[in-house]
Amino acid sequence: MTEKKQGGVSRQALILGGLAVVLLVLVILFFTGGIGEKVKRFVDAAVPKASDAAGGQAAAKTVTLFFLSDDDDFLHKETREIAAGPTDAEEAERALVELIKGSEKGFVSPLPPQTKVRQVFIGKDGLATVDFSRDITEKISYGSSSELAAVYAVVDTLAFNFKPVKKVVLLVEGAEKETLGGHVDLSRPFLPDYSLVAR
Amino acid sequence: MKISRIHRTARGAALAAALLVAAAVCPVSGDAAAGQDRRIQTMVIDPGHGGMETGAKGKFGNLEKDITLAISLKLKAIVERNMGFEVVLTRDKDVDVSIENRSAIANNRKAGLFISIHANGAVQKKAAGSETFFLSLNATDEETRRLAYLENNSSELQSRLDPSSDDDLMMILWDMAQTAYIKQSSRLAELVQEELDAMLGTRNRGIKQAPFKILTGVACPAILVEAAFISNPAEEQKLASADFQAKIAEAIYRGLARYLRVPE
Repeated sequence: MTEKKQGGVSRQALILGGLAVVLLVLVILFFTGGIGEKVKRFVDAAVPKASDAAGGQAAAKTVTLFFLSDDDDFLHKETREIAAGPTDAEEAERALVELIKGSEKGFVSPLPPQTKVRQVFIGKDGLATVDFSRDITEKISYGSSSELAAVYAVVDTLAFNFKPVKKVVLLVEGAEKETLGGHVDLSRPFLPDYSLVAR
Repeated sequence: MKISRIHRTARGAALAAALLVAAAVCPVSGDAAAGQDRRIQTMVIDPGHGGMETGAKGKFGNLEKDITLAISLKLKAIVERNMGFEVVLTRDKDVDVSIENRSAIANNRKAGLFISIHANGAVQKKAAGSETFFLSLNATDEETRRLAYLENNSSELQSRLDPSSDDDLMMILWDMAQTAYIKQSSRLAELVQEELDAMLGTRNRGIKQAPFKILTGVACPAILVEAAFISNPAEEQKLASADFQAKIAEAIYRGLARYLRVPE
């Protein structure tokens, strides 16, 4: 009688233990599966992985950013180190974050400092799509000059540093916008324009 | 960018329709014939921004939208007094008008000229001066090649035009017409800029090309005047004065008059 009872208890424990293992496996699968999907979303097929070439270490990449100067109307180059890899899109995102953060040499960023880079996608056709938070339109009242500077600082920064990028489209909060502030047409992709850059 | 494509195609179709009508009024002549006989019946003046959309702001609280309206009203008065054609404003009070509606006003009224009035804004407080813009199409490589091909083969293009023409073809036609208008727009910009330089005493920033939305949808020669910088405190105060506004209007009128070869 007691034996039978004990056997029942151990069988129960066995079933419970088995269930726990299955649950654990499911949980692990759930999380690893999730990561796999996230990576897939950001992986850019057209782009070689820079970190592989650099030996996989926390390599740095030097990028050139384009800022305004208080003394003239041109864009001025400033170099900055960012973390390298794994994809061009991720590096591009870091470069734009630095562009928004501003200059370390007394230049001025044409983008409002509150602006966030939501995502950068680089397609096989060389079209880079940059999605900014609404701050890029709401935190500044643009005139023609400041709006042109904002657009081309972004376009030139991407095209100058990332070989696969041939043209750039700007989105705001994931959607197409007519203009940032009533002037520059955002419906067509931009080619870089280095005529605005100081020599 | 599929959405963009559809959007552009729809816009292309709508504008191409306007273009076919406008072509009769706005002769797409070569630059050789330019200035000989421009029978313009209607011109459109576009006071930049308006309503909720204030445009650039000055340190002393002046808004671009108010200054553009003041200059536009003065320009309208001068042109109507001295020239024999109708002048239409895209807005005559402080209201929101979408960029698409502004172009639509010009195209529906079969405007032969389009002048958009703005006051500039820069991040740099020192930025100063006057400049006049005309459209750069910001064409991608592929579009540039396609345009170049079609410009060299326009007779072939015409023979292929039939009622079943699709939107893509209309869009190409639209781009071609824009290319033709660009030459005239460039000439108008040059003359207006010369007069601004002569009359205002501001720094001459010259004529420039930019992909401005307001210029992309208009089916005739079109320019955008940046009279001075509202972001520069000294120029902001000038821009806010009725006297300076009148000078800007007069300068634009003189440039326009030279473009049209009407005795002043």
